[in-house]
Amino acid sequence: MTRAHHDPRLPRLLHPAAWWAWAIGLAMAASRTTNPLLLALVVAVVGYVVAARRELGAASPFGAFLRLGLFVIAMRVLFQALLGGGVPGRTVLLTLPEVPLPPGSGGLRLGGSVTLEGVLAAAYDGARLAAVLACIGAANALASPRRLLRYVPATLYEVGTALVVALTYAPQLVEDARRVRAARRLRGHAGRGPRELARLAAPVLDSALERALDLAASMESRGYGRSVHRDARSRRQATTLTLVGLGGVVAGVYGLLDGGSAPLLGLPLLLVGSAAASASLAVGARREPRSRYRPDPWAAPEWVVLASGAVAGGLVLVAAQRGVQDIVVQTSPAVWPTVPWLPVVGLLLGLVPAWLSPLPPLRAVERVGDSRVIHTKGIRSAS
Amino acid sequence: MTGQLARHAPVLAVRWRAAATLGATTLVGLAAFLWPFLAQPGSGLAHGSDAPWLFVLLIALLTALVVAELSGGGLDAKTVAVLGVLAAAGGALRVLGGGTAGLEPMFFLLVLAGRVLGRGVGFVLGALAVLVGAFLTGGVGPWAPFQMIAAGWVGFGAGALPRASGRLERVMLAGYGLVAGLLYGVVMNLWFWPFLTSGAPAGAAFVPGDPVAANLSRYAAFYLATSLGWDLPRGVLTAVLVMVAGRPVLASLRRGTRRAAFGTTGQFVAGHGEGG
Repeated sequence: MTRAHHDPRLPRLLHPAAWWAWAIGLAMAASRTTNPLLLALVVAVVGYVVAARRELGAASPFGAFLRLGLFVIAMRVLFQALLGGGVPGRTVLLTLPEVPLPPGSGGLRLGGSVTLEGVLAAAYDGARLAAVLACIGAANALASPRRLLRYVPATLYEVGTALVVALTYAPQLVEDARRVRAARRLRGHAGRGPRELARLAAPVLDSALERALDLAASMESRGYGRSVHRDARSRRQATTLTLVGLGGVVAGVYGLLDGGSAPLLGLPLLLVGSAAASASLAVGARREPRSRYRPDPWAAPEWVVLASGAVAGGLVLVAAQRGVQDIVVQTSPAVWPTVPWLPVVGLLLGLVPAWLSPLPPLRAVERVGDSRVIHTKGIRSAS
Repeated sequence: MTGQLARHAPVLAVRWRAAATLGATTLVGLAAFLWPFLAQPGSGLAHGSDAPWLFVLLIALLTALVVAELSGGGLDAKTVAVLGVLAAAGGALRVLGGGTAGLEPMFFLLVLAGRVLGRGVGFVLGALAVLVGAFLTGGVGPWAPFQMIAAGWVGFGAGALPRASGRLERVMLAGYGLVAGLLYGVVMNLWFWPFLTSGAPAGAAFVPGDPVAANLSRYAAFYLATSLGWDLPRGVLTAVLVMVAGRPVLASLRRGTRRAAFGTTGQFVAGHGEGG
């Protein structure tokens, strides 16, 4: 790592893990509140950072995640309106025709009156999930999960390679399918439906498997698949850690589900188990030293982005723990939510990466290009 | 002969460590999917809205662990390449079928490939195909770990079916595809169903701490109202595709595995051409 990497003005791609950590911090913040104003602020913050720091040229899934969030809210409200709710409400908005159901249907209700309180509760709950989805969409847009793939532990190296192979070949397979389909159409088989798909499958799969064997031969000739020497000790270590981890996780989940067990059996055991399981992945990774081609540096801007997400999540968490007013908005009777200042400060700190993280290269080039165009235009108009 | 051989010697043997990991993951997976019914009143999960997030992380970790254990012996280049290409086909099928109501042709490939290549590859392939589909559409969300493990089970189950051949095999696989398509939907709803909680529709939402039977009947109402319309087409499509296209695809998969000759190692024979 050189000193230049610490300079946020140097255009480069930020380490993908930093973006994901930042987004998870904000998602945690969102999952803690039902205040629609705070949730809107979360979406605005991640949206602004995506707009400012997304690399150009790549497809952005952010919009799709936002649409999914809106769908979630709509579904929640629709359900609430159709099936009634557990929220006692007095302000009736409208009354739907009610379908009488047999008495044994367990409190099920179809239609009836739709109350403001019920609709609000459903909308707030949906908005919370939508805000979390927006955060994850932002992570997808800022750092493609494909780039995270380079950081899988070496124990998952082979499977990671298979995944890279898959991502490389998928477009080719679609192209193959298109070609076979075009050939069939030229021969006058313009079919649709499962039968046509079946006719397509065999030739496409045949050529795909053929290609796989070619690829395997070329991988082998380049030294892939040499056997790795493992000493018995590290293997024993990994096995022990795996088993301890699994045991801990299973027992911890059981402790969480079972009301009567000691509190120690629940979350602490689960955490110990998860830690052991993660450690077994790491121990397994140590026995297979692999070098990385042009690794992404982890320098000052990465720390800033990580800290911004952590602080945003942390402050909202603290506010929720302290029971700050209106972090969970009451819905019956419905009141206009106020804006608590502590979570707002936290969420606004989530905006920091929009200025203090490096610009992605293509975006930087475009910005330079723009200013040049303006510059030359200015000169022309002057002359 | 070679077809028999391929069935006797699976491409990825499920050894005891992998089996233990898979077993534990299945247990935790069941807990992750079924906790709305299992959590007792007063337990740590009964009131939390955090439980779904906890299980997202847990399932992601355990899926990684299972895949690491299953591939622990070090996959050879051929297995990696075949897995990669089949996962590409699965992912592409998923992207193609993604828009239309519940029609997921991916399951067809999972069932057949799990059948031919065995349980181990079936699981890894299911998990990978889902991930490839998610990467291709650029949407890796909190649902991905659940989908990975559920699709892994579908592939694993196809590999664990009893031996049969000819038409009987296809009928069996088609039946399995139908059931698997439906069950996948039942299970996949469960991961987000608890999100519809707290002040939710009384008829079809999860009520933390309620008796199992009450929650089950509400889930049934929810399932019939929302999800059956998506799951039934998926199961039926898988079954129809297996019946219509099963034979050529099974044949080409078997041909491919025979040509790949998994598990054989090249040997140098001494004694020929000496002193030449």
